[in-house]
This record gives sequence, C-alpha cells and structure tokens, in this order.
Amino acid sequence: MFNDLLFRLRSLFRRDAVESEADAELRFHFDQQVEKYLNSGLTREEAMRRTRLEFGGHEQLKEEIRDARGVNLIETLVQDIRYGLRILGRTPMISSVAVLSLALGIGANTAIFSLIDTVMLRMLPVEKPDELTQVRIQDPRSPNDEADPTFTNPLWEELRNRQDFYSGIFAWNLTQFDLAQGGAVRDVNGMFASGEYFRTLGIRPAAGRLITSEDDKRGCSGVAVLSYGFWQDHFGGAESAVGSTLSLDNHIFHVIGVSAPGFFGLEVGNKFDVAVPVCAAEIFDGPKSRLDGRSWWWLNVAGRSKLDVSPEQLKARLAVVSPLVFRAALPQDWETKDQQAFLKRSFEPTAAATGTSYLRQQFTRPLHILMGVVGLVLLITCANIASLMLARASARHKEIAVRKALGASRARLIRQLLTECVLLSTAGAMFGMLFARWGSSLLVRYISTRDNTVFLDLSFDWRILSFAAGVAVFTGILFGVLPAFRSTRVSLTSAMKGSQATDIESRARFRPGRWIVASQVALSLVLLVASGLFLRSLVKLVTMDVGFDRNNVLIVRANLHNLKVAPEQQPRMFDEIESRLRTLPGVVSASRSVMTPVSNYVWNSDLEVDAPNAPTGDAALAFFNFVSPGYLGTVRTPLLAGRNFNEGDTETAPRIAIVNETLARKFFPNGDALGKYFRIHADPGKPEPPIQIVGLAKDAKYGSLREEAHATAYFPIAQVTEPVEEQVFELRTAMRPSALVPSVEEAVGSVSKAVPLEFHTLAEQVADSLVQERLLATLSTFFGALALSLAMIGLYGALSYLVAQRQREFGIRMALGAPRDSILRLVMRDVVIVLAGGLTVGAGLALATVGVLQKMLFGLAPHDAFTFIAAIGVLSAVAVVAGYMPARRATRVDPMVALRYE
Amino acid sequence: MAQKRIELPQGTLDLLILRTLALEPQHGWAISERIQQISSDVLLIQQGSLYPALHRLERRGWIKAKWGTSENNRRAKYYELTKTGRKQLELEKDTWKKLATAVAQILETA
Repeated sequence: MFNDLLFRLRSLFRRDAVESEADAELRFHFDQQVEKYLNSGLTREEAMRRTRLEFGGHEQLKEEIRDARGVNLIETLVQDIRYGLRILGRTPMISSVAVLSLALGIGANTAIFSLIDTVMLRMLPVEKPDELTQVRIQDPRSPNDEADPTFTNPLWEELRNRQDFYSGIFAWNLTQFDLAQGGAVRDVNGMFASGEYFRTLGIRPAAGRLITSEDDKRGCSGVAVLSYGFWQDHFGGAESAVGSTLSLDNHIFHVIGVSAPGFFGLEVGNKFDVAVPVCAAEIFDGPKSRLDGRSWWWLNVAGRSKLDVSPEQLKARLAVVSPLVFRAALPQDWETKDQQAFLKRSFEPTAAATGTSYLRQQFTRPLHILMGVVGLVLLITCANIASLMLARASARHKEIAVRKALGASRARLIRQLLTECVLLSTAGAMFGMLFARWGSSLLVRYISTRDNTVFLDLSFDWRILSFAAGVAVFTGILFGVLPAFRSTRVSLTSAMKGSQATDIESRARFRPGRWIVASQVALSLVLLVASGLFLRSLVKLVTMDVGFDRNNVLIVRANLHNLKVAPEQQPRMFDEIESRLRTLPGVVSASRSVMTPVSNYVWNSDLEVDAPNAPTGDAALAFFNFVSPGYLGTVRTPLLAGRNFNEGDTETAPRIAIVNETLARKFFPNGDALGKYFRIHADPGKPEPPIQIVGLAKDAKYGSLREEAHATAYFPIAQVTEPVEEQVFELRTAMRPSALVPSVEEAVGSVSKAVPLEFHTLAEQVADSLVQERLLATLSTFFGALALSLAMIGLYGALSYLVAQRQREFGIRMALGAPRDSILRLVMRDVVIVLAGGLTVGAGLALATVGVLQKMLFGLAPHDAFTFIAAIGVLSAVAVVAGYMPARRATRVDPMVALRYE
Repeated sequence: MAQKRIELPQGTLDLLILRTLALEPQHGWAISERIQQISSDVLLIQQGSLYPALHRLERRGWIKAKWGTSENNRRAKYYELTKTGRKQLELEKDTWKKLATAVAQILETA
C-alpha cells in the first residue's frame, strides 16, 4: 500500500523523466518492429505503415501507461485544486463571504461541541481514569433519585477502614481559602484531599512531594500542596516555593510540593489551587471540627478497585460493608425514625472516568439546545452557499458546456465542482477553528459567576478535531452536491448556439434556488422562535417584581470566625460595625442579616401552629432570615401590616417574627395571622418557645427568581437561634455601590482589621442566578440575527439572479405595454410564494420541536402565540425588503437595452 | 494468419508476461515476440495492452525495470522478475492450471 503510494508519487514528481522514458521505450519497440518487417522483406515504407497501424494512437497509449502507473488520480486532484483556487479567486467577494459564513457556522459548532466534549465526554487527566469509581449513597426511601455523592467524615473514615477491595480509596472536598489576613478577601480554590488522593490518581509532583497518608492523620500539622498553575502564577514557578508558608483563612500552612502540570482535580469546571489534607479541617474548625460531625456532609469519595475485583463484585462488597459503616457513623442526635432510615442507606459505585461536575447537571440541557441552534445556523449557512454556488454555476454555464464538448465526462466535471466546494469548506473550517478557540473561552467566561470561576481545559483533542473535519467535509458536500449536479446537466446544443437559456429553462433552473431559499426561511423561523422564547423568558425574569429592589445595594459579607472574639461578644461587634456603616457618607440606609435574597444559601425548618388543619410534612416548611431593624427598608421589601423590628427586640425580649404573605396564607388561612403564635419544630428534649407574629411583609424571592414565593419568616437578628459567625451587611447607596468599598473597608477596619470582607452588589447576585437563561437568550438571539441576515442575503441573491435571467422576458413584456407595477407584482409573487412555503414548513417544524425548550422557559409556554407571530412578522418583513430591491431593479429594465442585448 | 489468433482472456496477459520474464530479463518488444513465437503465432500481444500491463506490474512490485543495451546495441528498457513477482507467478500458475483442468473437465463430461 505504502509502496504503491510512493510509486505513484515518484511517477508524479519525476513526471518529465517518466514521460521521456515511456517515449524512448515505445520508440525502441517501434524501431524493433520496423526492423523485423524489413528483415522479412518489406520495403521501409510498407514496414513503417504496418507498424504504425499496429501501434494505434501514440498519445493514447501513453495516457494508458500513465493510468497504469496511477499518476492520473493524484494529478487530476492537484489540477482540480489548482483550477478551483483560480476560479474561487476570480470571484473574491463571493468566495470570502462564503468562507466567512462557513467559518462562523463551523466555528460556532466546534465551540459548542468543545464545551460538550470537555464538560461531558473527556476522560480525566489521571492514570487509567476508566478504573476509577465514585462511591455514592443510595437512600431506599427515594430509589428514583440519583444517589448522593456527599459523605460525612465519620462515614468516610469508617468506609476506608472497613474495606479491603480498593487498591486506593480517597476523599476530597473543594472549598475556598482566604489568602488575606483580614480586610478584603483574596479567595483561592482550596481542596481537602485525603492521604491516598494523589497516589491513587497516579499524580506525580512537579516539585517537592505530594500529600501522603502520613500527612493525613488526626492532629496533623498544616501542610499544603500547590497546583502547577497556581505555583506558576503565584510563585512564578520558583523552587523556593516549596518550604515557604501560606496563610489560609489566617492559619499558617507549609508548602511541601507542587502537583503535576495539567492536573486540575476531579471536578470538571473547577480547579484547585491549594490542597491540604482532610485532617487540616481541625486547624480551621477548632476542637469541635467537622472531622467528627456526623451530620456534616462535605466529602466526596472515589477509589480504584483491586484488579481482581470485578464491577459486580465491587457493587456486592460495597453493599455488604454498608450496614456496618452506617451503624458506626450513625448521628446520635437524630430522631429515631431518621436514624432508622439512615441505617438503611447503602453505598453504590458509579463510573468516575470523566470526573464529576456540577456543570454537567446545570449545562447539559442548555448545551444540547445550543448545539441544536448552531446546527441550524450551519444548515442555513450551507443553504446560503448552495444558492450562491448555483448562481455562479449558471454564470459558468458556457464554460461547462465547452468542457463537456471537448470530452470531459460529467463525473469529471462534478468532481471539479465538488473540489471547489470542499476547498471553500476547508478554508471555512480553518478559520472556524480560530473562531471556536476564541468563542469557547468567551463562553466559559460567560458562564462563570462571581462565586464560581469556571475552569475548563479547552485544548483541542482528537474528538474536537475530527468533529470539525467531519463538519467541514459534510457541509462542503451538502452545499456542493445540488449545484454540481444541476449545473453539469447542460444541453450542449442550446449552450453552443450561444443563446441565453430560454425563459422557461431559466425558470426551471430557478426552482432548486427557490427550494433552498424556502428551506432557509423555514430554518430561520425555527431559530427566531427559539430565540424569541428565550429572550421573553429572560425579560420576564429580569423585569418581574421580586419583592425587593436589587439596584444600588452593596452587600458586605463579614466573618468573625478567625478573630479571637468570644462568641458572646460577636453580636456586639456586628452591631458596632453596622452602626458605623450606617453613618458613612453615601449610605442611604444600612442593615445586617444572616441571609440575602437569591444567594444560594437557605435556612429552613418546619413550623407548628395550634390550629385544627395546620400544615404538616413538606407543607409546614418555612424559610428563615434573621435581620436587623433596617433590613426590610434597605432591600425595600414593603411591610404591609403590623410593626417593624426595633432596638427593643433584644435577645431577652419576647420572641417575635415578621412573616410574608405566603406564610400567613398557608398557616393562617382566615387572614388573621397578625398577633398569632407559631413554634419552630423542635428536636426531642429541646422545646422551642412560641413566637408571635408582629408584622406582615410582601412576598419576596428567597432562593431563586424562578421559584414560587416560599413561606418566609423574618426574625430579629438579636434573637438568632444559634450563633452565626458570618453575617451580611446591606448598604443602600446614593452612588455606584462599588465606589463605597474603600470607605467600608476603612470603617470595618476601625473596629477590627482582622475581619475578612467580601463585596458584591445585590444586582450581581441576582444576575449570577440567571447565567443559564442569559446564556441561552444571548446566544440564540445572536444566532437568530445571524440566520436572519443569512436568509436575507440568500433571498436577495436568488432573486437578483432570477431577475437577471429573465431580463429579456421583462423587456419584451414592457415593450408589449406591461406596466411597471405588473412586473413588480410578477417578481414579488415569487417572493411571497417562497416566503409562504418556508413559513408554513418552519412554523410546523417549530411547533414540533419547541417542546424540548419547556424546562428552560419561564412564565410562558413553548407554543407562545406572541413569539410565533412576532417571529413570522420579523421574518416576513425582512424577506419582503430583501425581495423588493431586485424586484425594483426588474421594473427599471429598459426594453430597448434588454432586446438589443440579443 | 489473422484467423488463427485468439483474444487473451482478462488477466492472462499478466501471467504470460511473468512467465516469459522468469527465464531472463527482457525488453517489451522481445516479450511480445517470445509469446508470439512460443504460442506458434496464436497469441499476438498488442503494444496497447503490453505496455500498460508492464507498468501496472511494475507498480505492484512484481517486476522491476532498468535500462540496458539491446542485441543491436541500442538503449532498451529491460524488465525482470522480483522476488514477490516470482511468488505471484507460482500462485497464478496454480490458479490457471486449476481453472484449465476444471474447464476441460466440464467440456469433456458435460
């Protein structure tokens, strides 16, 4: 095979030598034959004549030899490419529009695909990733839910100590560490990693050493391993980093090493900067640490099973060990029925070759939708280029006829035309890769939020490259086949007569163009409907009354954990800070609370009321916030009735609450909530006091904008039921909120310089909760607009071509007295037919497919009539404008010029 | 003379060329002459099929070509059998014999 190729190539590159050799060889044969005839007594003349007859065509024979040597296939390919480039270069405008739109189409597809690849398909960059399994916990009470991946430390330790079927098992947890020692926080991505973490994954140190089981023992000293990227960025890759110290949340850690480059952890979308052993939790938490927290769920567990343990055996052995582990790690303070349920849980292995990812849950659906959207864009692009090619091929009508008359086979001509198309799509793919590079990193930045910087390794792998190559070839053929077949179907006689195609012929030739434009209209409508739906959802979410005013509110998160302040003293310190913030210039009002709206944190519990039909179970759940008197005023949640909190509602004062409308309606259906009492559901042996409702507040969103209002209760922050070391200040400002940051830092610093502070605005917090929605709305609108303009170009191009073809017909019509209006109508009739056909099919397609968008929409159904009508309206308007320009040109045909042209 | 000649079945030419070259390296004209002689003028090889066949066999690596001097002192292109060509010849000879026997059997019995 390889030899064969070499031989062909040698034949190709030593072409002249090979040609002259063939000549010499044939001449020798010729002479020998002549001599033979001479010897048999013929005259020279006769001998020559006979030999020549026997020989046949000299050139023909040489061509056959060339074929036999396999020169032709490669040679014609080179010829085709060279000729194709020349042809494409002759119409630079059309070619560059084609390449550009292909680059956009292929690039967008590759960009979205590369995200799907990195988030969902790619194997982890660790040793033998397919051997890894993650351990999850299945709760028999909800067998349909996905098994839960989070462990408590006692559960993890018991499992680790009681199993013998893993060659390596480890736990980890991603978290944030603050590098700053007080003041504005400087968070890095932290990770707790158990002793076997790096060894099991087969990660080597780039410098120093990695965490081992020796480092991960109760009472351990603080050691830390840096990721390669963090080492480069933060220490400039200096060897001296190993052995230096880092302050993490105000605790000193010794750097012992750096992990291998390219290793980011096991969670796709996140990376770690600094890893510390699991035992270091004690350093952060103090004596009552999460290491012994039997209800503190924070660790993930994965392992590599021993070689002789099959997947089935692993499952069985985990099931056997489960009851022992759960009994040993039973939370003692749970109610009996919850303890019973806890003991019934069991471990289950799940594949971990591609790692774990919250991105996968959050973005699988949006990414698939976007893949569909960019796929549509690519189809529209193909349709567009197909109609360009078709128009150009008709312009080459004569050239093709001449080549055919000279003996080129149809297959040869089609090959030539397809080569041109594949050239275009290859160029498009190459620019598309650049575009994809840029586009995918832009997308990653787009889905990153303040709390969560998404990190993805976006380097192209074989899967992405073959995807792009496949798309390029596919598109090239898709937009090339129809024009190639159509334009090589020329009637030689009519072409040779030199006449322009007759009118009937040209109208027939326009038919495929009409189909192409109609399908473009149909596909564009689907895209426009989708983008309209996403846009309207987003607008609804953004403009909805959320029950608070997000504008001009600065949120300051303060943590007193690392201060050497007794817990009893902390409330006074928070009070002190709040009163200083309130008097800052530029602050309209200030307050403090435990929760902020739409923050990803919840505090909830069941409520009990003394009433015959009181809600129970899930219906009794209420969401809490503990707030200072200024809170409702600062976030502008209206108090509808009753009184606000005041300075008198201290820790020792009677317990009171302000409730929202939903809570009042649910628990007090008679509308008399004010003045009534409720209790928080109590753990056994810890009775809760009755709490009186003193105020009624308007409903406000608690966890997300999409939710129905939750039953919410506000309590005075002085009456908080357990100490909270991290509290939040809200500042309503008269200026740009971020401008206040320095003066807030200064004010807090005047109380204590060691308080870590984190700043953001309430508006940012709300915006971050809408990442998915904004991503879909922005991208689908962008691609919808792109599709619209492509459809416009396509229609304009196809009609201009038609008008040019029918110029003579229009001229005759006008010469015979047809008014300009009737010509205009004639052309516009074509536009309307194409448009109506496209819209009908498109509307059907859209109706059939928008159902899949249901879950991503808010406040409207997928079959939203307004969106459909608007999309149809926009598309029709654009089509009519695009069609009107060539139609007008048709009416300006001068009959004399058109007829003389013959 | 013309009546005696037979059209060669597909693929047989390759076998004949290989067989001819098994004796000694030859140039194209000599190959066609030899085949004609040995077959008592029954088989006449046209240049139009001989040279494409030679170049095809060369591409397959069954024969190789080098320039030499002919009996009458002219430069001529000589073809000789390669190792794989020799193997191929044995293979094709076998196949041919089997085919010939089979065809003969059918013709005589059926």
